[in-house]
Amino acid sequence: MNCEQIAVLLPDYLQGGVSSEQSAQVEQHCEGCANCAQDVAMWKKLALLPPEQPSPESRARFEAMLRAYPTTSSDQSVSTSAREIDDAGKRTARWAFFDWFRSPLRATAWSVALLVIGVFVGSRLNNSTISHPEELSAMHAELTSMRQLVALSMLQQQSASERLQGVSWSGREAHLDPRVQAALMRTLRYDGSVDVRLAALDALSRHGSQPQIRKGVVDALQEQQSPLVQVALIDQLAEWRDPDAAQRLRNFQQTPNLNPAVRQRAEWAISKLQ
Amino acid sequence: MLQVRNGEVEMLGVLFDRYQTPLYNFYTKMTQDRAVSEDLVQEVFLRILRYRQTYRPGTTFRTWMYQIARNTRLDQVRKMRPETPFVSEPVAPASLSDSAQRQQEAATLQRALMQLPEDKRELLVLSRFQELKYDEIARLLGCEVGAAKVRVHRALQQLREIFLQLERGAPPTGLDRALGDTLPPTRRLQ
Repeated sequence: MNCEQIAVLLPDYLQGGVSSEQSAQVEQHCEGCANCAQDVAMWKKLALLPPEQPSPESRARFEAMLRAYPTTSSDQSVSTSAREIDDAGKRTARWAFFDWFRSPLRATAWSVALLVIGVFVGSRLNNSTISHPEELSAMHAELTSMRQLVALSMLQQQSASERLQGVSWSGREAHLDPRVQAALMRTLRYDGSVDVRLAALDALSRHGSQPQIRKGVVDALQEQQSPLVQVALIDQLAEWRDPDAAQRLRNFQQTPNLNPAVRQRAEWAISKLQ
Repeated sequence: MLQVRNGEVEMLGVLFDRYQTPLYNFYTKMTQDRAVSEDLVQEVFLRILRYRQTYRPGTTFRTWMYQIARNTRLDQVRKMRPETPFVSEPVAPASLSDSAQRQQEAATLQRALMQLPEDKRELLVLSRFQELKYDEIARLLGCEVGAAKVRVHRALQQLREIFLQLERGAPPTGLDRALGDTLPPTRRLQ
C-alpha cells in the first residue's frame, strides 16, 4: 500500500475504527515510511497533554445558575427571553380561540350565523340594485360622457402617442358620439402621424354600418398622401363592400403621380366591389 | 435531554455531571485558560437550558451540545479580542511526577497546538481528546464524513510541522504565526 491509500485509512486507524487486517496494513506501511509513521507518532504524542478536572466550585456555580433560572423565566415558557414568553402567551390565546370551534354544537351555531349574515348582506345588495336602476343608468351615461371627453381632449394633444391613446379611448364605446366621430374623422384626414391616422381608421372601421362614416372614409382617400394609409383605406372600403365606393375608387385611380402599389391595390378593390 | 426539554429542568444536573469534564477539557485545550474554560462550561449549560426547545428528539445530544459549545467559544473570542488581555493561571503541561524531558515535550506540544489555526486546533481537540467520531464532526462542521477525515489528517500534519520546528528551536514561519495568532500572545502558555 502506498501513502495515498494509507492516508484514507489513517484517520480511522488513529481512532481505532479499522479492522485488525487494515490495522496491520497501516503498521506495516509505517515501518517503511517515516512520514506516515510520524503522523501516527504525533497523534500518540498528544496523550502527553493530560486530561483536566474542573474545580469543585463548578458544580456549585451550576446549581446556583439552575436555582436562579426559574425566577428569571416563567414556569412554562420556552425561554428566558421576555419576547418569547410574550409570543408563547399570544400563541396560547390564539389556540384558545380556535378551541371554541372544537365543540360540534358551537361549530354548527357559527356556521348558521355565517349563513344568516350572508343571506342578509346578499339580499340587501340585490335590493339596492333593483331599487335604483335610473341612478345606475345615469352613472353609466356620466361615465360614457367622461370617456368621450377624455378621448376628445386627448385627440387634441401635441404628442402622437397621447393622440393614439385618445383614439383607443374613443373606440371603447359601442355607439360613437357624433362629436367623437367628427374628431376621429378629422384625425383620419389631417393628423400629422401615420400611426394615429391608421389607428383612427381602425376605430372607425367598427362603425362601418353608418353611411356617413363610409362616406367620410372615401373622402379621406382623396386627401391622403401616405401610400400606407391609402392602402389601408382602400382595404377598408373593399371590406365594407360599399357599392358607391367603386366609382370613387376609379376616380382615385386616375390621380396623377399615384404610387404604383396603391394603384394596383385600388384595381384589386374595384374588381372585388363589382 | 428530552426530560430537560419537557420542563424537568433539574434533570440537567445529570447531563452536567456527565459532560462538564469533557467540555472543560475541550475548552482548556482550546484556550489554555482554566478560569475562562470554567466560565465557558457554565455558559454552555445556561444556553442548553435557554435553547432546550431547539433540541430535536432523535438527534445525538453530544453533537448538539458541542454545537452550542463551539458557538459559545466563538462568541467569547469575539468579545475578548478588543479587550486588553489579562494573564491568568496557565494550564500545567503535565503532572510533577513526569520526567523533565516529558514535561518539556508536553510544553512544546501545547505551544504547537496553540500555534495551530483555531479551526484546525478544534478539529484535533474534538477528534483526539473529545473522541468525537468523524460522522459527528462532519455533522458539526456541516461537511461530508470523508472531508472531515481529510481535514483532521491535515490538521495533524500541520501540528507535526509546527512541533518539529519548535523542537529544533527554530521560530515558526511567518505564515504559521499569522495563522496561529488567534489569541493574544500573553494568553498563550509560555
